[in-house]
Amino acid sequence: MISKNALGPLFLCLIIWFSGSRSAVAENCQSLQVRHGEDFISVHCGGAPSAAMDAKGRLWVTFVQDRHVYVSYSDDEGDTYFTPVQVNAIAEDTEYNGENRPKIIIADSGEILLSWTTKTSSNFTGEIRFTRSSDGGKTFAIPRTMNDDDLMTGHRFDSLFLTSSGRLYLTWIDKRDLDAAAARKETYPGAAIYYTTSDNLGATFTRNFRVSHNSCECCRIAIAPYGDDEVAILWRQIYDEHVRDHAIAVLGPYGDVAGLNRATIDDWYIDACPHHGPTMLESTQPGQYHISWFSAGTIHNGIHYGRYDIASGTTGAIIKVDGTPGAGHPALAQSDDTLYLVWKGFNGVASQLQLMKSIDNGVSWSQPETLFATESASDHPLLLSSANRVFLSWSSKEFGYIFREINQ
Amino acid sequence: MSTRNLIQVTALTLCMLTHVNVMAQDSPGNISAFGNSSFAELKTELSGQPFVVSLWSVDCLPCRVELEMLGELKRQNPSFPLVLISTDSIEQREEAIYILEEHALDVIDSWMFADAFVERLRFSIDPSWHGELPRSYFYAKDHSFTAHSGILTREKLLELSGFLLVEN
Repeated sequence: MISKNALGPLFLCLIIWFSGSRSAVAENCQSLQVRHGEDFISVHCGGAPSAAMDAKGRLWVTFVQDRHVYVSYSDDEGDTYFTPVQVNAIAEDTEYNGENRPKIIIADSGEILLSWTTKTSSNFTGEIRFTRSSDGGKTFAIPRTMNDDDLMTGHRFDSLFLTSSGRLYLTWIDKRDLDAAAARKETYPGAAIYYTTSDNLGATFTRNFRVSHNSCECCRIAIAPYGDDEVAILWRQIYDEHVRDHAIAVLGPYGDVAGLNRATIDDWYIDACPHHGPTMLESTQPGQYHISWFSAGTIHNGIHYGRYDIASGTTGAIIKVDGTPGAGHPALAQSDDTLYLVWKGFNGVASQLQLMKSIDNGVSWSQPETLFATESASDHPLLLSSANRVFLSWSSKEFGYIFREINQ
Repeated sequence: MSTRNLIQVTALTLCMLTHVNVMAQDSPGNISAFGNSSFAELKTELSGQPFVVSLWSVDCLPCRVELEMLGELKRQNPSFPLVLISTDSIEQREEAIYILEEHALDVIDSWMFADAFVERLRFSIDPSWHGELPRSYFYAKDHSFTAHSGILTREKLLELSGFLLVEN
């Protein structure tokens, strides 16, 4: 028989055990819906989540559920989440898939900045939406449409970035020039890249600026800092009307586009939607960018890594990361002197999240290791760097939403 | 379309297929759920028969160009052995039907992905397919096949189907 005095420590042990198991066992949407009903709003049930960490280490995650964008935060790096806050009161057909997801950035001053794409018809039309919260995520301003052409055409695949100087860049794939060409009965391969900037954390934005004609229509745009106040972007671009490789450019605050150049020469001759956008990361070497991309070209086939040098306009140190057919969707991050590259592979049975590292600026890489494997649906993996730590941000049917440090 | 092309397509159609159950005309918007075993079942049903597979998505602009060509082809040759598979979730059925109707392709049987684990569904069709769209396959009578990525033009279709004419 247990004495009365022993019950206290036993109870404490049970609390510790249960609280420990709560974080050890991943929540997934199915288990949450069993407990809370099918309409339960959760980061584990929402579509295509993105994450950001604020200056105090609070994790913020945005996701789409039931045609609304939500934001939820966690104070224990993703073990538990506070009740999600609905961002857009009026439902909209928000895009959420591997290449097209809501984006979130937390300014040092606390403003929560969000962008996403809302589909406006079945014919590839959409609008670029932006909103922000100035009260720590309790409420959000009514979303605004950022494309300024008032055209019912394609504005999709937004990317959002806040420079260290505090300037906000929002870039996307835009079809206004395609429509104009069609009206002139001229051919126009693909779409265009446009952007806008804000120097007051999204209170106001500049007009829209064009970066380039003839981008691919359906791949995410990678974005990274260029100095303190500008950004470099990397996107899939159409060359010679049928080849879908990658272009890079540096964008300034007021529409000044510099260094527009071809970044990959893969020779992927295809009139199709690859739905495979690149990833890029500023190197510790000034003017250099780590890039990783997918191609099924005659020169490069599979996921590749390379280092692009702005001054010379060339990509060097190219290696094939994974050439198996199911491999795709790489993400890059850096912590201290270590580069991290994750991607998703498929071995015929399971999707595998693969990781490899480099400690010599991408010259040589570790053997790939499998972080997770799942035999059900999963999102593209994303990486997030914060205070010399690197986190995996990944959603899957089996494990729910996972936010986990990978540089331990 | 030239007379020569028309004759080629007609000849191809006659050579390829006389009657295929899974392609029987049915009610408008007849879309079936495409699961892990669907493609294997489809091939079993089409055993000994040539056919063409077109993979498309509501979110794929080049696919619309291909659907337009296929719609025209089916109007001219209703028995052309076409297997249409949308890689969108079958929950988007209405959107898919709307697009298929534009090209009069809603009257044929077609399939939509019915499992969010799309990697496995793609693998069940072709382990070497990266997921790019449109994607098409040309199956000979013995089910040896040729794959094509990107818009399938009528010329390309004739080129890739040409060996079927020889075989038959």
